[in-house]
Amino acid sequence: MGPRRDLPARSLGSNMSASVVNMLTRMCATIKPAYVWLSPVGVVPSAMGRLRMASSSTAEQKSAVVESTEEYKYVERLIPPTKIPTPPLHDGPAPSGWRPPSAVTPDLPYMVRRSRLHNVPVYTDLTHGNRKTTLLRKIEGDIWALENDVKEYLVQLTGKIPLTQVNEVTMSIRIKGHFDKELKEWLLEKGF
Amino acid sequence: MMNMFRSGLNVCCLALGKRLSSTFAGESALPSNLLIPPNLVEVQRRLRPLPTDSVPVLHKCEAEIARHLRPRQAWLESLRSRGEDQLGVVELHPDVFAVHPRIDILHAVEVWQRNFKRISHAKVKSRAEVSGGGKKPWAQKGSGRARHGSIRSPLWRGGGISHGPRGPTSYYYMLPMKVRVMGLKVALTSKLAQDYLHVVDNLEMPTPDPEFLLDIVRHRQWGESVLFVDANEAFPENLLQAAAGLKMVNVLPAIGLNVHSMLKHESLVLTLDAVKFLEKKLLWHDSRFTPLYPFRLPYSDFP
Repeated sequence: MGPRRDLPARSLGSNMSASVVNMLTRMCATIKPAYVWLSPVGVVPSAMGRLRMASSSTAEQKSAVVESTEEYKYVERLIPPTKIPTPPLHDGPAPSGWRPPSAVTPDLPYMVRRSRLHNVPVYTDLTHGNRKTTLLRKIEGDIWALENDVKEYLVQLTGKIPLTQVNEVTMSIRIKGHFDKELKEWLLEKGF
Repeated sequence: MMNMFRSGLNVCCLALGKRLSSTFAGESALPSNLLIPPNLVEVQRRLRPLPTDSVPVLHKCEAEIARHLRPRQAWLESLRSRGEDQLGVVELHPDVFAVHPRIDILHAVEVWQRNFKRISHAKVKSRAEVSGGGKKPWAQKGSGRARHGSIRSPLWRGGGISHGPRGPTSYYYMLPMKVRVMGLKVALTSKLAQDYLHVVDNLEMPTPDPEFLLDIVRHRQWGESVLFVDANEAFPENLLQAAAGLKMVNVLPAIGLNVHSMLKHESLVLTLDAVKFLEKKLLWHDSRFTPLYPFRLPYSDFP
């Protein structure tokens, strides 16, 4: 028995190679004239004939199905966007505590940009189980001036000069100890 | 060629020092740890005075620029004739053409570009693959010779190699997408900062003559090798014919722009369409979400 004509070749299983499928379809083509010759005699139709009758009934059933593309809008609204939206304007801080950068850029020799999700780029790190550091990223301009200001501020807070590492290649400052909340507040007050 | 070597290090240093002392007033001319290659050729670029009447800004950046940054400017030139090289000024986005000069990222991306495609096919036979050597050559004891188990062991002449290259080795690795994007931005920034970036309105040429193109390149002091970049792949026939015979002039569509080509060619000539395309594509990475699924699958605002 050859493969069914109404099914695409792919559904016959990935094991069947293209050459085998071609051979089988050619076999179907040779079987077809035999069926045409048998039908007027009234002989019980061959397997191909039975298949032909089955395919014609499914075609009738298929014509009852209506294709519509209007419901695709329910799929489209689920597809996510790629661009991060700009946050809406709030009067003062947002309910979560988030504050936007000030409209006027601060008149300082350095600049600290916001992260791509509009947050202040201060991160804490814990290595070796007990080594606490704070990382201040996305700095532009005079990084040494910013380091001086950070040291002055933290000396007022803690009483001792914090150890800092300035990385001029990546434009970031690493400070010994966890000072993320204090530094975030300090940068927000500055207007970054 | 020999003149360059004979000029010597001192003359080179003096020439460089004279150029640098004019820009950095008050500082020493050259840093003490600067390594100058002995065959450095100092090409004196002629400085032309700015035109007296106001220069029109022919293209402004489409994307928003951060408030603390100002756009960079480049002359808009044309390939139609030798003298048309100051048609107006084009504004370039600072987040693409004026990023922090990360030479380490440039190096990483260049090394990645060379190595990720590399498959080394070196393979040598081990003692198992060399023909023969299954039989013990002589008895363990009694012959007076050293004990051996096969004639193809690595100790033997003609034997297998014990720790040689084994089969096709792939050196494939991928740098993060944002690192590769940063590499492109740093390369464009470096080209602009070193006066090797030129913006052209389009690549239309009056003749397909390669000599005409070379004359423009030499007259405008673009350098020894030039890379022309346009946004789409349909280039004017005249440019293709002119560049076909030339080794030092190459043409590339903007999707094919890469760090290796930018470093290989001394000068980079972008069309205005290519500048818009690059700004749009490279700035998208600055404010995109991390991918939920690969970007080749459809997203709502990504083509």
